[in-house]
Amino acid sequence: MLIANKVQRYEVKLLLAITIGLALAWVIEPTLPASNFTVRMFLAIGCLVTAGAIFRLDAMLQSGSEKNAQRYIDMLCRLDHHDLAAAELNGTLPKLPENDHWQPIFSRVRQCLVEYGRRADEAEHNWTSVEIKLRRVANEYSRLNDFANGLPDAALATNPYGEIVWANQAARKLFALEIDANTPVLAAEQLKCAALVDVLGDTLKRQSATHRASELEIAGAAGELCWYRLNCRALLGESEDGQPELNGAVLVLADISSERGVQKRHAEFVSAASHEMKTPLAGIRAYVELLLDGEAEDDETREEFLSVIDSQADRLQRLIENLLNLARIEAGVEKVDKQNHSLNELLESAHSVVQPSSEQKQITLTIDLSPMYLGVLADRDMLMQSAINLLSNAIKYTEPGGKVTLRSRMEENAAVFEVEDTGVGLSDEDCAKVFEKFYRVKKDQKMAPGTGLGLPLAKHIVEDVHGGSLTVSSRLGTGSIFRVSLPSHSRMQC
Amino acid sequence: MSHRILLADDEIHIRRAAEFKLKREFEVSCAEDGQEAWEMLLKDRPDVLITDLQMPRMNGIELIEHIRANEATADLPVILLTAKGFELAREDIFNTLKVFQLLSKPFSPRELCRLAQMAIEGHESRQTALVTTQV
Repeated sequence: MLIANKVQRYEVKLLLAITIGLALAWVIEPTLPASNFTVRMFLAIGCLVTAGAIFRLDAMLQSGSEKNAQRYIDMLCRLDHHDLAAAELNGTLPKLPENDHWQPIFSRVRQCLVEYGRRADEAEHNWTSVEIKLRRVANEYSRLNDFANGLPDAALATNPYGEIVWANQAARKLFALEIDANTPVLAAEQLKCAALVDVLGDTLKRQSATHRASELEIAGAAGELCWYRLNCRALLGESEDGQPELNGAVLVLADISSERGVQKRHAEFVSAASHEMKTPLAGIRAYVELLLDGEAEDDETREEFLSVIDSQADRLQRLIENLLNLARIEAGVEKVDKQNHSLNELLESAHSVVQPSSEQKQITLTIDLSPMYLGVLADRDMLMQSAINLLSNAIKYTEPGGKVTLRSRMEENAAVFEVEDTGVGLSDEDCAKVFEKFYRVKKDQKMAPGTGLGLPLAKHIVEDVHGGSLTVSSRLGTGSIFRVSLPSHSRMQC
Repeated sequence: MSHRILLADDEIHIRRAAEFKLKREFEVSCAEDGQEAWEMLLKDRPDVLITDLQMPRMNGIELIEHIRANEATADLPVILLTAKGFELAREDIFNTLKVFQLLSKPFSPRELCRLAQMAIEGHESRQTALVTTQV
């Protein structure tokens, strides 16, 4: 086989033909008439030389083939699998002679390597796209988590077995939860609120698209009780055979303590307002019935009854007007028109409004205003209303012969005015409550009619509408000072 | 001898209207607050107390608690006359404080008079039953 291969090469064929020719000549030569020993010797030597050349050439050819093979392997080893296909395509791979005995082996190896390179390229491409998708999913998850953690509501999700698998920051804080994806915790053990656990259990038990909402009181991690609105929804998916399947449930808890507080304050306000209205109405109804029953036997009594009805109707009307006034300003329905005003000028106007009532009650009303210009950014009518309320309050609760002083001054960055009286004064307890709606100092109620809304209204105007402060300091039996401080506003504008 | 009623309310008009009607049938005395009512009660020993809830110094609830805690006044029939609404716990008023009747303001003086009459009759029949049982 080896010899057959070797013989196929033309150099070997040529040499072999010469050797055979020379050998034949050497055999034939003695039969020729001109036989010569020297010629036979040359023929024999020539035969031996060509035979030696054949073996030498074979050795040379063999070593050349090995070198080629070595070169080929080196080149394949150096080639990256990316380049292999290109090299194959461009024909830059070394070509082995077609009759090289390594050729079929290398050809097979080359094919395998090219195929391997193609597959490796494909796998790398797939891996890159999977990596990109993975990164995108991770980013999306992190973004959604950030959104969920930014929510003020507490949200958590469970699997169908009632184990918490996810919770946002608010939920983790509320229930002091430690969530680890590898070791899920049972909601029933962690949530520590029987009503909540019941709703969750009920939702998971039904295994259908149920949605439950309720309001409940939950103790937070610090033990404080807060009202929450609970929304619990079953999470439904589809099983492999297309049947609906329960994946778990999601719970959302919204803190509604402030809403509850507003409802409570609203209810208290309605109760207080209705109580205040019922009192004059009680007088009216009682005296009307007495008149209808003919209990008033003489004109004088009838007159007395009618005047009580009149005064109580008047009280009721004032109360309703004040209530509406307060509600309008508090609700922002009353348009606030803030402009630059001189506080002193505004106080002088308020002073002139209450002057007649102070004179009537023989109270000395003194005005002591700052010589400086006190600029305030104010709604003139509203601020004047609060000054009038404070002045008339002082006049009401000061005995005849007493004094009421209205003064103004500049204090750092604030324009200040005070209403001081020598009236009945307030206890510390009354000072704390005097700005509450409908609060009236019981012992002083006989001194003047009132609705208990004048001071709350003044406080609302000064503090909420104008960003100032209204405070009171008082001594029982000596008098009170109501002090209003407003942010100073210079009129020097270009 | 007519029965005596003590009327406690800080609103002069309410006092005046109720007194005007009640005095036709009863002997009426008035107090301006809970404290004054308590002092008058111990002194005058009325047959019925008609009281407001919100009063200075001592409110209606405190006054009734004093009455129930004191052996001499524990049985006194009390009529509560109030403008208070939903915040009243009726359970406490009728079971704990044993108030005879609650009359909401605005009220009818005629109705108040009728309730006072009923309170006195009820109290007297209970007293009679008690005496009979003891005999």
